[in-house]
Amino acid sequence: MLSESRLCLLTEDLLIRILHSLGSERKPWRLVCKDFLRLESATRKTLRVLRFEFLLPLLRKFCNIDTLDLSLCPRIHDAAVALLLAQGSPGWTRGLRRLVLSRATGLGHAGLEMLVRACPVLEAVDVSHCWGYGDREAAALSCAARLRELNMDKCLGVTDIGLAKIAVGCGQLEKLSLKWCLEISDLGIDLLCKKCLDLKYLDVSYLKVTNESLRSIASLLKLEVFVMVGCSLVDDVGLRFLEKGCPLLKAIDVSRCDCVSSSGLISVISGHEGLQQLDARYCLSELSAPLVKCLEKLKQMRIIRIDGVRVSDFILHTIGTNCKSLVELGLSKCVGVTNMGIMQLVSGCGNLKILDLTCCRFITNATISIIANCCPDLVCLKLESCDMMTENCLYQLGLNCLLLEELDLTDCSGVDDLALRYLSKCSELIRLKLGLCTNITDIGLAHIACNCPKMTELDLYRCVRIGDDGLAALTSGCKKLTKLNLSYCNRISDRGMDYISHLGELSDLELRGLSNITSIGIRAVAVSCKRLADLDLKHCEKIDDSGFGALAFFSQNLRQVSYTLVLLSLNQVILILSLMRSKSHSSAAFESKLQHLLYKNYKCYLNEHN
Amino acid sequence: MDSNGSLRANPWARSPSLTSAANGLSSDPLSFPGFGLQHNQPKWDGPSNSDYGIRAEASFKEFNQPSQNGSPPPPDSNNEIEFADQENCHPSESSQTNGLQDWDPSVVLNNLSFLEEKIHQLQNLVHLIVRQKGVGQPTELVTQEQQLITTDLTSIIIQLISTAGSLLPSARNSLINTSPLLAQIGQLQGPTVPSGTGVGISCIQPQKNVGKKMSDQAMQTDLPNNCEMEQNYNNVEHDPKDEDDADDGESLAPGSYEILQLEKEEILAPHTHFCTICGKGFKRDANLRMHMRGHGDEYKTPAALAKPHKESGSPKLIKRYSCPYPGCKRNKDHKKFQPLKTILCVKNHYKRTHCDKSYTCSRCNTKKFSVMADLKTHEKHCGKDKWLCSCGTTFSRKDKLFGHIALFQGHTPAIPLDDNTKGVAEPPIQDSKENSKEGNMNNTFGSIPSNGNEVQNVMDVKGNSDDPINYFSSLNFEANFGVFNDFTRPLFDDSESSFSFVMPGSFKSGGESGSDNLQ
Repeated sequence: MLSESRLCLLTEDLLIRILHSLGSERKPWRLVCKDFLRLESATRKTLRVLRFEFLLPLLRKFCNIDTLDLSLCPRIHDAAVALLLAQGSPGWTRGLRRLVLSRATGLGHAGLEMLVRACPVLEAVDVSHCWGYGDREAAALSCAARLRELNMDKCLGVTDIGLAKIAVGCGQLEKLSLKWCLEISDLGIDLLCKKCLDLKYLDVSYLKVTNESLRSIASLLKLEVFVMVGCSLVDDVGLRFLEKGCPLLKAIDVSRCDCVSSSGLISVISGHEGLQQLDARYCLSELSAPLVKCLEKLKQMRIIRIDGVRVSDFILHTIGTNCKSLVELGLSKCVGVTNMGIMQLVSGCGNLKILDLTCCRFITNATISIIANCCPDLVCLKLESCDMMTENCLYQLGLNCLLLEELDLTDCSGVDDLALRYLSKCSELIRLKLGLCTNITDIGLAHIACNCPKMTELDLYRCVRIGDDGLAALTSGCKKLTKLNLSYCNRISDRGMDYISHLGELSDLELRGLSNITSIGIRAVAVSCKRLADLDLKHCEKIDDSGFGALAFFSQNLRQVSYTLVLLSLNQVILILSLMRSKSHSSAAFESKLQHLLYKNYKCYLNEHN
Repeated sequence: MDSNGSLRANPWARSPSLTSAANGLSSDPLSFPGFGLQHNQPKWDGPSNSDYGIRAEASFKEFNQPSQNGSPPPPDSNNEIEFADQENCHPSESSQTNGLQDWDPSVVLNNLSFLEEKIHQLQNLVHLIVRQKGVGQPTELVTQEQQLITTDLTSIIIQLISTAGSLLPSARNSLINTSPLLAQIGQLQGPTVPSGTGVGISCIQPQKNVGKKMSDQAMQTDLPNNCEMEQNYNNVEHDPKDEDDADDGESLAPGSYEILQLEKEEILAPHTHFCTICGKGFKRDANLRMHMRGHGDEYKTPAALAKPHKESGSPKLIKRYSCPYPGCKRNKDHKKFQPLKTILCVKNHYKRTHCDKSYTCSRCNTKKFSVMADLKTHEKHCGKDKWLCSCGTTFSRKDKLFGHIALFQGHTPAIPLDDNTKGVAEPPIQDSKENSKEGNMNNTFGSIPSNGNEVQNVMDVKGNSDDPINYFSSLNFEANFGVFNDFTRPLFDDSESSFSFVMPGSFKSGGESGSDNLQ
């Protein structure tokens, strides 16, 4: 009572401020305090529902939302939409600006059109990975005349016709992603460029477009970001169109365009000296001398990703001395990356935040120490398979790069407990990959657990010396873990599972090949980890029906379970299947997977009984 | 083959290149010296167009003068027609055209003066008879004189024909329908003066079917009337569709033709010719004749196999046909009756207008036809005009459609709804079901509620909701589009299964309020 009266003294403005600063802790507050509940309902802008059943009451409660995310409700369908529009609070759609329907494969064109027509100020729609969407769905989307952003990745059925519908209907489009819309051709792109003159972002990755499309795209005067990954029909001739066009171009991605060579990139660069981002992964075998010369002009360059290219010290030196504002450099799987080259690079680029040195095997401790010294802002460092380095480099890293959030040390055999102790000084770490680091033990893990409370993703694939005690430490320290990979850490037993069950946020768990865990452990996880969505139980041979029964019963949000080579009776599989279905939540992919498994297990079942 | 039959039937058709042998045949006892002379003239050095035109005109006039006294000279256009014919002849029938080109005005003059002389002689003879009439003559003598005159006249006529022979093509084209005399000429010249017909018809035939084979050459030896029929026949074969409209431009005076009306059964009968022995039916008379050969030797004679030609002696009335369907514009009782030209026209018209369309296009499964030929024609183009704009314009090419859309503000491509039912939008599990459904779309709606509340229901409805029967037809386009926009309708059916507690009305209001918001 006392606290409530004190809160009453504060004005609503102040309460709202408090609410916002609470961040993810808002839930307990609104559960115990009516004022906060009221304010939350009034001010909440974003709604992301895990299950469709809750949507209707939620929409009544939060009627001021501007973003609705239904990407976790893949089975939402037309009738459900009709229901929402009819029974939801009147006008919840009036303010809706952003609609995320990614993977909402159950929604048909009729429902989509209803939804789109009901939202008069809709500005952004994401229908990515709705692989069944075709022209009619595109036509439904084209009813949103004020649409500015549209993501249609992997809408496999959309053809030029659908794109034309959108181009004509949504003339104000600024951002459009057509990645993997494989049916779209030059004609559609050409029309798009004639109708949507405001386009700033365009992604045509993996489309079968040719140079003709680039000719059309070059006429877009406002285009800033152009992504054409994997357009193997485009060559240097096409890129030459861009030299003269798209005056505002800031970023271009020509990754995996097999026919693009250095000369094409030169023409793009020479036309756009303000270029800030260049992606040319796996499309060039090496950077020609003229191209390197061109790179000198790009003073504003912020991001360069040239994975898979042969580089030399000279190239890295050129980049280091000219691209002073470089923030990200991707040299993954580049041949010819040496200590000297990296040293010359980082000595110039002190602002580097992201450095990808995956598979640059000649990198040693000295280099990493210099990186640590020169780039204090480093946020992400990928050193996968750089197996020449030892714990000493991590000492430098822990000393200097305190902002480090992501570190990939997969397959770095030099990493041991001491290294982890040094590393644990980077208290901001969010993602850490220690796969195949067979030398780390529970002690090393405990260091990380104690000092890195923000950790959300941890990969301990085949860290065979990790045991239950390490998990005990981990689960007590890193409460926010959402993704955990413990595959083939064979020492882990049901006790470890008990510890894992303390991770309330866990959504993604890989337990592949853990031969010591049984149904009891799985049951503990199923009961406590309510958010579990993705579970890998392949080769967990001791798990039987009761474990899966528990999963089916308790894990309401489970979307995918992989469990080949797990002994299950047919009845149990059917039970799981029916429970999953009754939740009206699991994706189609999941179902088909289960059906496949059903058959597989049926055969097992027959074998058992013969 | 029809033509084969006529080949056998014509005793004088010994060689297909008969017409080119016309020179040789001039030794026929009935032909005149002038005629033979005509062929002995030196050949033309080269086909000079202007020369030819003048010559043709001149000869035409000369031809007309003796045969039809007082008839006006035909318009120039006739000559041009003839001229075109000649051009056509050149590649295939050069030998015949050469024969024609040997023709010379001086020869004609020669012939004509000879004729004049003969006519004078005859005139004198008749004068004598007239004068003797008053005196009183024994009847024997009178009959003898009459015979003499007849013989003379006949010879004059014959020579006139042979002189005019080379001019026949133009004469036929313009005069055959109106002048019974020419028809008689044709009949006359048949057995007696083959050279004339040969030349004449050989010029007609190539025009109709340039590059046709030997069989056609055999047909050239048919009588002119047959030839006319053949032309008709060819027309029918080439373009049966044109027939219906062809006579629209023609304005025959109401009484100037004979109206025939076939009964419905007659029109729809698959066969029109029946074997009198075994009763087997045939579509064509010639096929029947071929068939008859199997019934005995008496049907193998040239006479039996010959094409039965119509009596052309009397000026025949033009035949036009009436549709037996009462109230039809093609029915003779209709106020603005428009007759049909041929029997085939009648058949096609009747099937198209008054019969069920039983032939369905196997490609689009929507277009139906009652005449097989129409289906064939449609199938040639089916699927080509599949690009449709929201304004109703169709395009055979996608880029043309996109060019159109780029040009006009607000035009969008119309979505071919048929495509979607093929399962592009369906999960793969549904594919087989979808495919089987395609055959009878109409039934699926009824079966929906039994399927439970699965996603596929929604999908099914999606596939079927605006199932267009004739989507691509521009006529139906508007209607279909209306259905397409009316998105709430298909949902009712579906909602009953999964959300039975929601009244259809509430859906509608929701949808409408939504669209209200938009405006």
